[in-house]
Amino acid sequence: MSDPETDGGTAVSEGPDPEPFGGQVGDLYRTVRDHELSVVVGSAVFLLFFPFLLVDGLEVVNGLLGDPGIGGYEGLASLVLIYGIIVVGYNLLLGYTGLLSFGHAAFFGTAAYVTGLVSSTTEISFLGLSATMPGITSPLAMILFGTLFATLLAWPIGFMSIRRSGVYFAVLTLTFGQMLYFFALGPGAGITNGDNGFSDLNVGELFGFINLDGLVPFVGKMEYVFIAVLFLLALTVANRIINSPYGLIFKALGENEQRVEFVGLNVFRYKLMAFVISGSFAGLGGSLFAIHEAFVHPSTALYWIQSGDFVIMTVLGGTGSLVGPVFGAFIFEYISNVISGTTLPVIGQVGSLWRLILGAVFVAIVWVFPRGVYGGLVDIKNFIAGQAVDALRSDESSPPAEPEQGGDD
Amino acid sequence: MVLETAIEILLNGLQQGAIFALLGIGLSVILGTMDFLNLAHGALYLIGGYAGMYFIRETSLSAGYLNSIGVDAIGLGLGFAAAMILVPVFGFIVGLLMERYVAEPFYDRPETDQLLVTFGLALIVQEVIKGMLGGNTFQPTAPTTLFGINVGGPVMLPIIGNYPQWRLYLVGIALFVIGLTYLVIEKTDFGLVVQAGTHDSEMVRMLGIRINRSYSLVFAMGAALAAFAGLIGVSFQTVSPQIGTERALIPAFLVLVVGGAGSVIGAIFGGFVLGITVAGMTVLASQWAQIVLYAVAAGVLLFRPEGLFGSKGVVE
Repeated sequence: MSDPETDGGTAVSEGPDPEPFGGQVGDLYRTVRDHELSVVVGSAVFLLFFPFLLVDGLEVVNGLLGDPGIGGYEGLASLVLIYGIIVVGYNLLLGYTGLLSFGHAAFFGTAAYVTGLVSSTTEISFLGLSATMPGITSPLAMILFGTLFATLLAWPIGFMSIRRSGVYFAVLTLTFGQMLYFFALGPGAGITNGDNGFSDLNVGELFGFINLDGLVPFVGKMEYVFIAVLFLLALTVANRIINSPYGLIFKALGENEQRVEFVGLNVFRYKLMAFVISGSFAGLGGSLFAIHEAFVHPSTALYWIQSGDFVIMTVLGGTGSLVGPVFGAFIFEYISNVISGTTLPVIGQVGSLWRLILGAVFVAIVWVFPRGVYGGLVDIKNFIAGQAVDALRSDESSPPAEPEQGGDD
Repeated sequence: MVLETAIEILLNGLQQGAIFALLGIGLSVILGTMDFLNLAHGALYLIGGYAGMYFIRETSLSAGYLNSIGVDAIGLGLGFAAAMILVPVFGFIVGLLMERYVAEPFYDRPETDQLLVTFGLALIVQEVIKGMLGGNTFQPTAPTTLFGINVGGPVMLPIIGNYPQWRLYLVGIALFVIGLTYLVIEKTDFGLVVQAGTHDSEMVRMLGIRINRSYSLVFAMGAALAAFAGLIGVSFQTVSPQIGTERALIPAFLVLVVGGAGSVIGAIFGGFVLGITVAGMTVLASQWAQIVLYAVAAGVLLFRPEGLFGSKGVVE
């Protein structure tokens, strides 16, 4: 929505133009900013400092506030990025094509189990058949297997679910996800170890010589670097999709499906691809989650509440923008892991009440801020920039000239 | 032996099915008339269950906020008969408030927003109850006497032997309420408006009928039924904050799917089909019970999207 509306090649700007800078510097700034990769490079720079800000930065804030226990910890950064990958992909489905899935835990959880299983040497059995797992411990291979499996699973589930729309789509994805959950808990316990959870994960060294538990100066564990690199990769792919004609069709589907059909495009195929792509992002996240936690349980991997959490994160952060959902993932994980351990002035010990806080924040966001936290931040930025432009213009006391950056074809 | 199992399945299926049907009717009629999908429908069941427990007996607390400020036990101890009146009334009021303050602002917003806001609301209700009373599981509230009749203890049935007597009564009570609802929808003017609303609400409005008033009534009625289902449910199943989603919301959705949106008879039928399916699978292959339940719903949704009784127009 914040993108400039185009009208057959001419940019139509609405309201005051928030670009105070002119000249060469301003042009350079805009060229850099508008370059597609700038968001990835910017994220990379931020990720370098993210653990530091989260641990040391919040520690300082925590100290200033009299130690209410709001400081972050190292593993949180990895967790935020893992969920970040999932919601960036999920947003392609919800934020762009407008399909609300309540079944993405299926891909997350399946990938987590597959990642764990290929790395173990346990004997699995199902319906009298049994097999010994190969024990492939290369992290990249584990992730590849997990993600591939999730993608292959997303195909048939998407193929069936997309035949229905709206509520019925949501219910169908939910039923498939729940079937997998109950399968992992009951009949499939010979494979998944059921309610006891799967813990036989063996994570080897990356490329045969990098230990993921090793330490890297300043940023912390090597595992974080590994996850951050994959996060950037996922972000780049999602960014490419969004900025491609293909992604434009996703967006068009969300706005008016019928028109897309009238133009002659195969709506079903594009919806299916959006579903499969988001499923493979969830799979990548699930694989990393398994490696990070070294434990997979049906209720944290496959239960529908987990799917609901992806929805909450995405909507909280803001649908329809590349990085918005990542803000949601951060807020969600921060509330569930840090705020839950604090003691607040009115409520007292937060403990398990964190979901209540989250629910309240979520409802408020849906109600008054459908574009999420990120959308709100963008609005505030534009407002301030707009004010600044107005101030500059009145100083120069020149008539508000039309912006020269008009037709960048 | 086979006959024994079959009767047991049928009885258990009727109990479960009656609850599913009560839940499904409300969800289905609300969706059918006002195109509003309520993910907080399970929360109404949860509210009904806890309200029932509160009215019926005194329950001692061992966790939660109330316990931490020194409340050891809550409950009015009015008995089951009083709860049968109070719980639906309470549910009705909650439904009216919910329609006015949650549903109405979202009638014109996209379907996704409706799903999201009610999903958040369900989360809040569940967490408030959990925060207040703790996440403990409480025992069922089965009464021993009702209106002076002894309903507790076992009863001797032919073929299967001893069976908890209350479970038979609860099926009777639930069937009575379901029948009453069916009559209201089929035989009264109000029901006629509601039925017309499921087909074409715009037309009804153009005929000069104040459908908005009927909307709030339908919503409140659905809420009262869900709360009543909660009361019946906790009389033979345990009470915990998760029952709203696990035992109510998801089954209600499956009933909706099987029965078809907007169809009362479909919801009743769908409820019993799913109830007996679950009961049957629980006896025959308990590990697969839930999986089969979902598979039935998915199958109906894929091959007969209008449900077994729904009109074709409701599903896009």
